[in-house]
Amino acid sequence: MREPTFLILAALADQPRHGYGIIQEVAALSAGRVTLLPGTLYTALDRLAAQGLVARDREEVVDGRLRRYYRLTSDGLAALDAETARLRALATVAERKLRRHVRDQPAVAVRPRPA
Amino acid sequence: MPQPLEVLARRYRRLLLCYPRQYRRARGEEIVATFLDLAPPDRTRPTVREAVNLIRHGLRCRLGRPNSRGVVLGAVLTALAWGLFTGAFAARLGWETARPLPTEAEATELFGRMLGRDVTGQVVVDPALFVIYGQPLNAQNLHLLFSPDAGEYQQGRAAVSLHGPSDVDHRALVDSTRAWLYAHGWRVSEVVIRNRVACTGCDESTLPKEAVFAARRGDDVVSLEISLGDPRPRPPKPGVDGYDETYASVELTRASPAAVWPLGVVGGLTGALVGWLTFGWASRRTEGRGRLLRGSTTVLFGIAVAIWYVPLVVIVPSMLVDQLETSAPSWPPMWEWLGQPALLPVSVVGTGAALVALAVSALPRRRELATDARPAV
Repeated sequence: MREPTFLILAALADQPRHGYGIIQEVAALSAGRVTLLPGTLYTALDRLAAQGLVARDREEVVDGRLRRYYRLTSDGLAALDAETARLRALATVAERKLRRHVRDQPAVAVRPRPA
Repeated sequence: MPQPLEVLARRYRRLLLCYPRQYRRARGEEIVATFLDLAPPDRTRPTVREAVNLIRHGLRCRLGRPNSRGVVLGAVLTALAWGLFTGAFAARLGWETARPLPTEAEATELFGRMLGRDVTGQVVVDPALFVIYGQPLNAQNLHLLFSPDAGEYQQGRAAVSLHGPSDVDHRALVDSTRAWLYAHGWRVSEVVIRNRVACTGCDESTLPKEAVFAARRGDDVVSLEISLGDPRPRPPKPGVDGYDETYASVELTRASPAAVWPLGVVGGLTGALVGWLTFGWASRRTEGRGRLLRGSTTVLFGIAVAIWYVPLVVIVPSMLVDQLETSAPSWPPMWEWLGQPALLPVSVVGTGAALVALAVSALPRRRELATDARPAV
């Protein structure tokens, strides 16, 4: 799963959101690193809907603008859960390696240079 | 006077034309509303990034099947093939702006000066810039383009061949001709020495050789072949094909006129866009249809793509090698790179397969049939 897709699913995990809300939430989740444009967002939503991971929830009109809300389906929740577990496992392995590297680092640093 | 926000919304809606109409009706206002929510108060027109984003995703949306990557590959292949073929057709239209070939008298004078001898009565000039069996293409011989003889459609030329015993050394003729060309402002290619005849199983070092080179000045392109053998004629050798007494031949053709390039590019881009949109239309029409219909359109489309691309894969490399070996100053017309019109009969079969695929895609869905069958009230 690509990062923007993962972030869109994550943005919908706690509550249904409309397009603008998803874009804001994805930016917040990624600390401003991922800024989706609407064209990209709606293409991704179409794909996720075709895969059965996302569904329309409700729509409302605010200040004359149409807002359509999207929510995760049960398959979407399962996919997000599986991807989160996969990323967590990868992060755990990487973290363990990094700790080992930091632990070994002083020994490397004090090794005398060859003459 | 319209509000700035209304102007901005109208500009976003204009960009949404890249999406199919049905999609625009369903999602257009939602997408525009999201853009307006994101826009800072002083924005009056979409940013370049937003415009590119909408065009890119709109064109993708036109293919339907949001979950498929194969459909993008199919659209790219179709757009590329249509772009190349329509670009080649537009380039041919551009050739209509080329200067006609010289008259026989003009060509006789030019060749005579170039070769340093009188060639009166030996010059032949084709009647048009492009000929098939020496004749311009017309209603009487148009059918030849759809026959195995289609490859005879070639660029017209003014030509002269010198035969029989020569009073000068052939190498000296090469040098004097090149010197004349340089002195009169022609851009002359390097000389390539090659075998004058084809021979299987012969000792190549014993075969007669010829010097081949080309030159260009303005829109005049000349190709010269001058034998490097003994100036005296020799009897044909057993097992050697095509040995004749011609010791020099010169052909003059026209270089591509300037209009060929812009027309080719515009024609190519238009064809690519139409190819993409047509493929997208067929893809959306067949989305979610029965297995038989989807299978038949896929097979027909596969046949079309194979027929369109096989000549490209076979012909382009060999032409490129020929072109680089002879370092000719002018490239062959674009359609020859696509194997046209030599392979036109085959390409017609490919286009036929694509048209049948489009016709099958256009078949109404069952629901449409039921609606149409309803009696008028």
